[in-house]
Amino acid sequence: MKKFTTILLLFAALLPAMAQVQYGTTQYAVRLNVGYLHNTTYGSYAGFDIGAFMPINQHFEMQADLRFTTANTHAIGVQLRPKFAVPVGEMFIENRLLTGIYARDGFNDLTEALAIGYRMEYVSVQLGMSTRLIIPSPYNWHESVNIIVEPFNLCYRIEAFVRPQTSPWNISLCISNMTDYQIERLWQPIFMAGGWYSIDEHWQVNLSALCKPTGMFHLNAKYYAAEVRAGFAYNF
Amino acid sequence: MKKTIILSTLVALLCSCNPETWDLNITGMFSGSSAGIDQRIDDSFAYNDEHGFPLINALAEEYSAYVCTDTHVDFTRKYWETFILDYRHDISCPIAIHLGDLINAQRHWDFMRRPLDSIPVNSAKKDTLLAVAGNHDLYFNQWSEYLRLWKRSTYYAIVRTPLGKRDLYIFLDTGEGILGQRQTEWLKQTLNWADTQAFRHIVVCTHTHLFKRDTSQGHTSNMPLEETYALIHLLKQHNVELFLSGHDHSREVTNLGSLTAIIIDALNDAEPNPAYLIATMNDEPIKYRFVNL
Repeated sequence: MKKFTTILLLFAALLPAMAQVQYGTTQYAVRLNVGYLHNTTYGSYAGFDIGAFMPINQHFEMQADLRFTTANTHAIGVQLRPKFAVPVGEMFIENRLLTGIYARDGFNDLTEALAIGYRMEYVSVQLGMSTRLIIPSPYNWHESVNIIVEPFNLCYRIEAFVRPQTSPWNISLCISNMTDYQIERLWQPIFMAGGWYSIDEHWQVNLSALCKPTGMFHLNAKYYAAEVRAGFAYNF
Repeated sequence: MKKTIILSTLVALLCSCNPETWDLNITGMFSGSSAGIDQRIDDSFAYNDEHGFPLINALAEEYSAYVCTDTHVDFTRKYWETFILDYRHDISCPIAIHLGDLINAQRHWDFMRRPLDSIPVNSAKKDTLLAVAGNHDLYFNQWSEYLRLWKRSTYYAIVRTPLGKRDLYIFLDTGEGILGQRQTEWLKQTLNWADTQAFRHIVVCTHTHLFKRDTSQGHTSNMPLEETYALIHLLKQHNVELFLSGHDHSREVTNLGSLTAIIIDALNDAEPNPAYLIATMNDEPIKYRFVNL
């Protein structure tokens, strides 16, 4: 069994990465991921992610995500997703609250995003707006430091799957300025690839990768960040 | 699905299109064809190594620094000429700064540069105009032209008063929306060195602004979030007083405690509210005012 699991994990490692939420998923799930992360500001660092997915009923689901990194930047995210079926696929409204804790640099940010989405077996799209508060930390109430507000930001996500999302394995490609742990400005698209493999009805292994270039809207793009994360999900 | 693929392809093509040659370069979305930050750092550092850093003498303990940005010179240069006239006639101004986007597109470099040769300097003083590159100064392989006329984009300058007090101006190249690893290292080293030098004021000048606090220029981009936070933290650690930038074309002042980040209005002729900034440098905290044209 151990050998079999090892082979499966290796197989998963060869897949590009994982979808955010699978359309048609009806089981509660807990996910654990470990990642290698790199950007040109921090260099190389590691990330540890814990996530929970809760399809409360057929019209409402929730998702919670926690990330800790060795760069001393962390994130907590909650997503509330009312949804309703349409003749083909499903419409949903994603309400996402994300706290970024940039302890290494003395900043916290709080981002609220509201997006309308549509998903079906092969495609998922989202379009919405987000607002960010950037708060120096620790906040000094006796100093006239502004809490910086970035009031309007367009957020978007387009993800395509090679197989129906209910398949036991899948590969996806995605472009978005949102990940589970960060919502970037609209001009900062993040390119993601992902895949998963369901070992049985409870266990699923996954691998995901992302690349974040910068300067695309300066017409002189350059690599900024990348990450590869692998892990498993347990479906209850 | 079909529509998604078609739309995505169209967006990709448009994002990678060079209007000069109508070349399509999809890989340009990930790796630009213009000189990247590492190349530009190499060129700037090579010039720094050979020529050192500017040392400018002020005529008094209090002096004015004139700062403009985003002149976007193409076929006209009215406000740019006004700026040059103003700082050259002000006897208290030993240093003028341009924060990038000097020109709008290719082929306007010499036209932009010409008033600097034709407008006379006040005979009672000397002054120096220093610049950093903006995104418009880099588009489609213009770095070599920028380099020909402005020599470097990552460096520092010191203004020294008659009594020997010194103010440090650090110029950073953020023309493609990133500082990059090597420039960040250089900035750290420079600020560590500055800590030992007892400068009166430290000012950082660059093109790209830090935050997106309004919708003044819909798609204008800035640095990734991680780099923005790390940069502010670094500047505050080393008691930098002013962070001056442009790019957004719309005035904005952000108070970050000991650090004030200012976006200066654009100075291009098509701008409805053109303005530049004058900073007053003396033994008090830096004071500044905007001059509306």
